[in-house]
Amino acid sequence: MSEQKNDTEMTGADIAKIIINLVVIYAIGGMILATVYAKTSPVIFTKAKQEKEERLKQMMPEADSIEKTGEWQIHHHGAGYYTAQKGGAPVGYIVETFGKGYSSYVNTLVALDTKLVVQKIDVVSQKETPGLGDEVEDPAWKDLFKGKTLDTLKVVKDGDQRYIAAISGATISSRAVTDDKLGGGVKGGVQMLTDVLSGKTQPKQAGNEGGQH
Amino acid sequence: MSETSMSNWQLIKNGIFAENTIFKLAISLCPSIAVTSGLKNGVLMGVAVLFVQTMVNMTIALMRNVINSKIRIPVFMLVISGWVSVADMGMAAYARDVYRSMGLYIQLIVAFASILARAELFASKNKVVPSMFDGIGMGIGFLVALTIISFFRELIGKGSLWGISLTGGVKPMLIMIMPTGGFFAVGILMAFFNWMELRGGKAPAHH
Repeated sequence: MSEQKNDTEMTGADIAKIIINLVVIYAIGGMILATVYAKTSPVIFTKAKQEKEERLKQMMPEADSIEKTGEWQIHHHGAGYYTAQKGGAPVGYIVETFGKGYSSYVNTLVALDTKLVVQKIDVVSQKETPGLGDEVEDPAWKDLFKGKTLDTLKVVKDGDQRYIAAISGATISSRAVTDDKLGGGVKGGVQMLTDVLSGKTQPKQAGNEGGQH
Repeated sequence: MSETSMSNWQLIKNGIFAENTIFKLAISLCPSIAVTSGLKNGVLMGVAVLFVQTMVNMTIALMRNVINSKIRIPVFMLVISGWVSVADMGMAAYARDVYRSMGLYIQLIVAFASILARAELFASKNKVVPSMFDGIGMGIGFLVALTIISFFRELIGKGSLWGISLTGGVKPMLIMIMPTGGFFAVGILMAFFNWMELRGGKAPAHH
């Protein structure tokens, strides 16, 4: 595409035409995007909420009710923690946590029994490097967390079975899930819950469903 | 390059062979290294690009007579980011399963040189139908290239394909799924395809 005129020859009318052309096209583009957003965002919101409830249920299938008991802040994200009950008796807890990874904050759910031993973890969302960091979603790796406690939630590279083996090439992502050394990850979540249950810190009540305690 | 004289079928072949985005034009090399550490990632990225490239080409071809040539690049960017956003939001709302596996890749496409290059070089000078076939050809070419690269990288670097382990205990060459290995894979494959072409005595790439 060759330029017919160079900039010095442009008149005020040419400039005005170009500006109007650009403004009109962008306004139309903006309207299309706004329409699509208005149509899709409520659907996305409801579906994401349903998925979250479904996920919580899968974390502790034996429980018949999972109630949000409070919220905590980690890496500027609000995360909830939940008490799972069966027939009125508590059977465990679920903590949501974030860990600082290589290219994202990894959002994880941890299911704990009443003695605060990890039963199961689930990676809710992450944007780690495809092919390396996203291996944290590998079921076999997530299974390593079963039976871990505060003392054994540590990433190691020597294959020591008491701890969590780092994923090859993705130590930072492995740490983001396990213990990011900044108070996040699964360990941060378990630590927070331990403190709350032992009364060291006051739990923040869940905003919209206060009075659970 | 003025209006194309190629048939629709030739346009598709052109995108796959003579003007293959990665192996011939050597553009959009960043994604060809960044997302090809696994076969699944490579294929899904290729599919996402195929879709966006085709839609962008058709939109630009439709609009080509109303865009002032001085502001064409910002308009192309709007069209690309618009399609990417629409695809992203649409999938998030109505195709959650696809979104879970493809969402990450769709968002990355905004910055692809290959999409902008085809909008500028082809779609802004051609009618809608040839532009659509150019988009399909370019998209398939990109998909094929990413599939080949990620096939070898995952096989050698992780000893698996599509996440299914094949090694049976042999330790894979981890370096192939690191960025370093991406450069190796792209360079060697590019050399291989050029060598094949030279050896076959085929006519040099159409320009």
